[in-house]
Amino acid sequence: MRWEVLALALVVGAANWGFRYLPIRFGLGSGAEGGVLARFLAAVGPAAIATLFFASALPFVAAGAVLAPALGTAAVLAVWVWRRSVVLATLAGAVAYAGGFALSG
Amino acid sequence: MDAGQETFAAGLVTALPIGLGYFPIAFAFGVAATGAGLSGWEAAALSVIIYAGASQFLALALLTSGAALPVAAFTLIAMNLRHVLYGPALMKAAGAGAGKRHAWAWAWGLTDEVFGAALGEIARGKRFSEAGMFGLGLLPYAAWISGTVAGALAGGGALAGWPVLEAGLGFLLPALFLALLLSILTRPQVPVIVVAGLACVAGTLAVSSTTGILGGMVAGALAGVMRRARA
Repeated sequence: MRWEVLALALVVGAANWGFRYLPIRFGLGSGAEGGVLARFLAAVGPAAIATLFFASALPFVAAGAVLAPALGTAAVLAVWVWRRSVVLATLAGAVAYAGGFALSG
Repeated sequence: MDAGQETFAAGLVTALPIGLGYFPIAFAFGVAATGAGLSGWEAAALSVIIYAGASQFLALALLTSGAALPVAAFTLIAMNLRHVLYGPALMKAAGAGAGKRHAWAWAWGLTDEVFGAALGEIARGKRFSEAGMFGLGLLPYAAWISGTVAGALAGGGALAGWPVLEAGLGFLLPALFLALLLSILTRPQVPVIVVAGLACVAGTLAVSSTTGILGGMVAGALAGVMRRARA
């Protein structure tokens, strides 16, 4: 196992554990909601997810395909509205994309 | 409404759909990891030690693009910063006196979906318990690791003869990000999302994908802080 892979995993994994446990241990988040840190924490998650959505979608846009990405995106939206489930919406999007890929291939 | 205390077994049952959803995504990660040149052990280590789906896929992109270790670590840590909010939100919903003695262990399983499921159980009248949280967290973690190992064993070329399946698995990542985005979408977050998206696209087209990702995260977070400061 390469050291850079293990080091990256350990650093990010330790941070993940801290993010998930330490706010519970120390009762963080129960203070004033308008502070700079609270605003930053509230914004960084959506910013990260939005960034990664656009970053992962760009190659599909660049490839010029229309039907499969459109079907996949529509399925994610529809199943999310229907069930409010991240897992189900994700799987539905992948299945619909595969269907669109098969139809256009 | 009091539907009783969440037990370990009830937590496992609640987590079943999450585990079923995690397995194919983790399988896709295992395939992608070995396809990107990681060994099976390295792919499994990422799932065991990081256990955060979206950032693991991003880790592959960063590792294969040759990003410097500090840049890669910063990007991945920034992406998972949202998890800071989950514990306090869960304990607030659980009510005063909710146990947290073993939180050092069960909090590890507090992913986006597990957090959502735990809040849902409380909303349906189940009383929070640490045993229930262990049940809720264990099955998805096991599914994530076993899915990764299965995908890594199948290997990077395993899907070459199955182009439709490979295409579907390839779309899992943007689908996951879109679903996560929908799950946190509120009107106050719209400017954050728009600014992050624009900065990401501009940075990617002008410089590189790594610049676009970092730029999008920073610009989006600053937009959120500044917008609320003006409000």
